[in-house]
Amino acid sequence: MELLPQALVDGIMLGAIYIAIAIAFSLVFGVLHVIDFAVGEWIMLGAFAGFYLNLWAKIDPFLTLPIVFVVFCGVGYLLQPVIQRVLSGHKGNPLLMALVFTFGLGMIFRGTAQTFFGFYSHSIPSHFSNGSFFFEKGAFFLTISSVRLAGLIYAGLITLILNYLLKYTDFGLAVRALAQNKEAAGLMGVNNRRTNKVLYALYTGITAMTGVLIGIIISVNTKMGAEYSIFAFFVVVLAGMGYLAGVPAAALLLGIIQSMFLVYLDPGWTLLAVFGILYLILVVSPTGLFGKGWV
Amino acid sequence: MSITRSAIFASLVTAVAAGALQAQEFKIGVVVELSGDTATGGNVAKRGYDLWAMAVNEGGGIQIGKKKYPVKLFYGDAQSNPSQGAAAAERLITQEHVDLMFGPYTSSVANAVGPVVEKYKIPMINGSAESPKVWEPKFKFVFGSIPPVNFTGAACIDTLAHLTPAPKTAVVFGSNDTFSSSTANAFNSSLLKAGIKVLKFNIVPEGQDLTPLLSAMKGLRPDIICFAGHDEELINLVKDLHQIDYTPKALLMHYGVTEPAFAEALKGDANQVFGGAVWTETTKTASKILWKDSQAYAAASLKAFKVAADYTQGGCSAAGIAFQVALQKINAVPPLSEAKRTELVKALEAVDVETFYGRIKFATEGEFFHANAGISSLTIQIQNGVVKSVGPAKVAEAQVLYPMTPWAQR
Repeated sequence: MELLPQALVDGIMLGAIYIAIAIAFSLVFGVLHVIDFAVGEWIMLGAFAGFYLNLWAKIDPFLTLPIVFVVFCGVGYLLQPVIQRVLSGHKGNPLLMALVFTFGLGMIFRGTAQTFFGFYSHSIPSHFSNGSFFFEKGAFFLTISSVRLAGLIYAGLITLILNYLLKYTDFGLAVRALAQNKEAAGLMGVNNRRTNKVLYALYTGITAMTGVLIGIIISVNTKMGAEYSIFAFFVVVLAGMGYLAGVPAAALLLGIIQSMFLVYLDPGWTLLAVFGILYLILVVSPTGLFGKGWV
Repeated sequence: MSITRSAIFASLVTAVAAGALQAQEFKIGVVVELSGDTATGGNVAKRGYDLWAMAVNEGGGIQIGKKKYPVKLFYGDAQSNPSQGAAAAERLITQEHVDLMFGPYTSSVANAVGPVVEKYKIPMINGSAESPKVWEPKFKFVFGSIPPVNFTGAACIDTLAHLTPAPKTAVVFGSNDTFSSSTANAFNSSLLKAGIKVLKFNIVPEGQDLTPLLSAMKGLRPDIICFAGHDEELINLVKDLHQIDYTPKALLMHYGVTEPAFAEALKGDANQVFGGAVWTETTKTASKILWKDSQAYAAASLKAFKVAADYTQGGCSAAGIAFQVALQKINAVPPLSEAKRTELVKALEAVDVETFYGRIKFATEGEFFHANAGISSLTIQIQNGVVKSVGPAKVAEAQVLYPMTPWAQR
């Protein structure tokens, strides 16, 4: 029982990382209907960008986040029309083609990264990595790592900013309109192409920044992407495909389940339990935790 | 017309001659993890095999009688996946017609490749795989230049058990793969034998974020933390411990501490971490084959790859030397027939040679049939970013730094 506060807090911290990975991924799916299987590779590329910026500029990686965001927004903005072309094809199944396209893109990113960055793992040092907060009362104790706390704040900020953008700006109105009905949105004057490009740019920028964060908290290597692609997909499915508001709850649930299994049950069963619970929830509610996702 | 015929005849003669010339080299298949999760170690192994082949070919090849035969390595990527490793081995044997094989980096892939080489009767030396499970099937055609991890694990725990103040408690975690789980089991049994209480023993999924587990462990205040895993898992664990601000008296990890990337990624936090090895750049050895000692090998590696050599890389190069010695002993000329390959197995069993890596002498009976029984395990510690042997006492080159300096004071 004395481990419960620690297990819960660690689960929330873990969940915060999953929020940061999945939130923009879910947004892109909701509007563009692209399951971007390159999400993990965007994280990996962002992490390497943060690593090399830190190495060359000798500044704290948290300060490099805006640079990484801008650079990857640019890359995403330029890449989106290519994905759009695949999506707007009339032969075969464009959604399936887009899925295969992003999967291939991810493989190209990984292979190229292995060629240029090598196979070794790296770490991005930060001043935030060095501290922690420790509380103890009777048998209960709680350690909160400052860098993971920074991760939680980052995930919270990203969620709030996206929420603001979607609910209180013209861009957000256009995005919501596109998500509801593309044709009707177009007739109402929404510039489909430009909105999609900006949206995809936001997604790549946020995901790459998350990569820097993961590089600070965990580590950086060219193989890291696959694991995060799986978790991003897990969170989005659990939240309900395309239902953005469900992402934080789904991500936190995933983190807490993992933490509880690691602490109280057999750690060897953690991933099996996580996916077992996902299947169970989908059997009961195929549209995700809140019943608001796509079927 | 006659010109055309002459040209065809000349081409045929050239092709036949080229084929004959091609046959005058030893074709060695290598299945390693060039991509996937364990590509880091796979490429370390590749460097070891490559360095041996480069050194042999620089000297003109392997001397058989009065002639020298170069070696040519044929790579197959196991993609860090046992079934892909087995498929790659099958392809190298049936399509490339290799004479010999070098084994993969991981024990999981080595376990999958073993039955394939046994089926085709191709002698294979694993230059890296350490899990005792590799030796369980007692394959006739499979050898290994690195002793099973039981010995490495036991040697490390023995060093730690004799430190002052004596550690009393420990926790053991191992990643869920063949090598790491065997290593964790080796740590566990050695701790129990040494009278150190094991407070927690867990095999965890590969790549899992272990912070919740470590935070819970912090309440147990273990003196020793033992972890068995691969490269980035080791880096992640040290970072996790720093983040939750728990410094044990001793932190023992295997495999990956000896890889230069470990100290490079963690900088000061890598210092005082213990690891296991069977060779370091400063191990005292003397040899008459290719490299005269450890230092000469380390220098050659640095020159060729601009990366310091570790014991896995060394083990892979030593595997080449074992083949070299055995081939010379039976005067084997490429290509090797099945009878000659069977004869080579007998010759490998008789190999007893001092190399830059130490003694190579394969066990010919017992639990670890065909594992290298010629070298002893070392306990190493990272000191100022450099790998130092700190145990057993008779080969220690530096004093143990113990207990660990707290993370915050580094």
